[in-house]
Amino acid sequence: MDSVTGLMNGFAVALQPQNLMWAFVGTFLGTAIGVLPGIGPALTIALLLPVTVYIEPTAAFIMFAGIFYGAMYGGSTTSILLNTPGESGAMMTALEGNKMARQGRGAAALCTAAIGSFVAGTIGTLGITFLAPPIAELAFIFKPQDYFALMLLAFLSVSVVMGTSKVRGFIALFLGLSLGLVGIDKQTGLQRLTFGVPDLMDGVEMTVVLVSLFAIGETLYVASRFGLHKPNLNPLAGGIWMTKEDWKRSWKPWLRGTAFGFPIGALPAGGAEIPTFLSYTVERKLTRHPEEFGHGAIEGVAGPEAANNAAAAGVLVPLLTLGLPTSATAAILLAAFQNYGLQPGPMLFINSGDLVWGLIASLYVGNLMLLVLNLPLAGLWVRLLFIPRPYLYAGILIFSLVGIWGVSNSWVDLVMMFGVGLLGYMMRVYDFPIAPVLIGLILGPMAEIQLRRALSIGQGDPTILVSTPLSAVLMTVSVLIVLVPAALHWRRTRKIAPLPEDRSPV
Amino acid sequence: MTERPYWIAAGTVAWGAIVLWKAAELPQFDQYAYVGPGLMPSVVGAALVFLGLLLALQIRMGVRFEEQGAEDVNDGHDVSYRMLGLAALACALPVLTMPKLGFVITCTGCFVLVAAAFKSRRWPLDILIGLAFSLLCWWLFRKLGVQLGGLLPAMGV
Repeated sequence: MDSVTGLMNGFAVALQPQNLMWAFVGTFLGTAIGVLPGIGPALTIALLLPVTVYIEPTAAFIMFAGIFYGAMYGGSTTSILLNTPGESGAMMTALEGNKMARQGRGAAALCTAAIGSFVAGTIGTLGITFLAPPIAELAFIFKPQDYFALMLLAFLSVSVVMGTSKVRGFIALFLGLSLGLVGIDKQTGLQRLTFGVPDLMDGVEMTVVLVSLFAIGETLYVASRFGLHKPNLNPLAGGIWMTKEDWKRSWKPWLRGTAFGFPIGALPAGGAEIPTFLSYTVERKLTRHPEEFGHGAIEGVAGPEAANNAAAAGVLVPLLTLGLPTSATAAILLAAFQNYGLQPGPMLFINSGDLVWGLIASLYVGNLMLLVLNLPLAGLWVRLLFIPRPYLYAGILIFSLVGIWGVSNSWVDLVMMFGVGLLGYMMRVYDFPIAPVLIGLILGPMAEIQLRRALSIGQGDPTILVSTPLSAVLMTVSVLIVLVPAALHWRRTRKIAPLPEDRSPV
Repeated sequence: MTERPYWIAAGTVAWGAIVLWKAAELPQFDQYAYVGPGLMPSVVGAALVFLGLLLALQIRMGVRFEEQGAEDVNDGHDVSYRMLGLAALACALPVLTMPKLGFVITCTGCFVLVAAAFKSRRWPLDILIGLAFSLLCWWLFRKLGVQLGGLLPAMGV
């Protein structure tokens, strides 16, 4: 099935009234959680996972995609109007966008953010439409050793790129890997790390770990350091809609932002932070109004917002074609696929063509819905921030309990929620990145399967792991990712070493 | 003053050691796939021990731990252990009460405790809102097909 027919079929699925309803629910929820603090797209989808047992997969994924895209929109609204980015990708938007709002240009900033997100989201979805099938084709010739090398690369790059310290990134990764080992070994049926607890034989539930790390950890962290900044709303009244000049200054940053966001989002550990930052820097360099940067330059809103949304689209490419999650949200989407007994990857396009293309088509529909939901209603969304914090966080805990208790009514899961929640608190206090835990937990068992497959094909010869050109290249890149920064660091410290004054006690 | 949280390094090493110890009870190699069930745990456990030691070394060199930013956090990152304790109690409560008292009562308790941890002082109102919200969640998610147990399991309801 080529892309165009596939997409047409997809629209036939996505435009069914029932699926339109799910897309609306998703985009609505997504925008709301993008606005609210303490709750993000990964967590929301995790909390909704128990529900997936009862709605059909296409509807569920259409809703999840809406949540995923919607969160990006919601984050930008609060960044601009209140200077509180609802999620990390919207940080750069807050810099210029809030300054614009303070000058009474909030409407223009919201407008360029929403239209930029729409443009980037649509181009990104076009990218998925035409890139995903060929990559999926390509993935058919992937051998187990190629997959293993790809996963190794994902592990290493996630741990190296995310967070501030590589050691802490790797500790987070191996923690996730160790949790992924719990349960019955698929190949031999032996129990691993179950400590004789029957509830652990099925392994550690992804939902439990994710919800505890994010929701419980965040609740504990914020409760211990609570201090409410009274949001002061910059009035939209008196603001002017985007002028002709604004359009002229916005369209290039939109396209450049998309060009940064989509490819970087598709890379392992790309995420949304790096492209938004890059886009902001580039726009600052290229602008004809450098004096406005830092005081509300429209380019500084248009570019990063576009990059942010394009990155969200990019993340879906490796997920759908290779089954490789590159962010926390993608990891939980993968878990959702597994809940339905579906394995993302090349076979998905053949076995569940309707689902994949329906999902892709719904991304176009969702983008349009988000534009409609966000442009005129921005002022309303911001009201969500006035929910009293005690009730907001108490509500988040109750939703978490629905998510965790609803999975299997297991008491062990509740104990784990408390333990992993404390871990999440500690990781926030001592700055350990959280995403590597989830990537390790979900990709670890998959990597082990591929490793075993490769070795049994190669009859135990470890050189099989670098026997194909692709696996050799990926392995080399993996090694370089770890060694190059370490070597650079070693050289730097050697240069500093002769100066003992630098090591004076702090 | 630089904080030196050696206990994190110790915890990492300890968990790595437990993983290694459990892995040692399993066969490391396998006739068919060559990688036995114990090999991966051994590798992961060894890596955790190594990383824990590396972290200890970093802590000795005076590496800094900057708290992560979050919304609704006060500017000075001042810690109130009383509030942390209350919130932690709310998260531990389900372990004690969920199987006996059921979802609704447990969640009401959690709701009130978290609200208190966020400096809400209106107890009767909190209990009322918590109860209403818990009941709503229980009823709604049951409708959607999520198994949340009975209303009051200890009474057999």
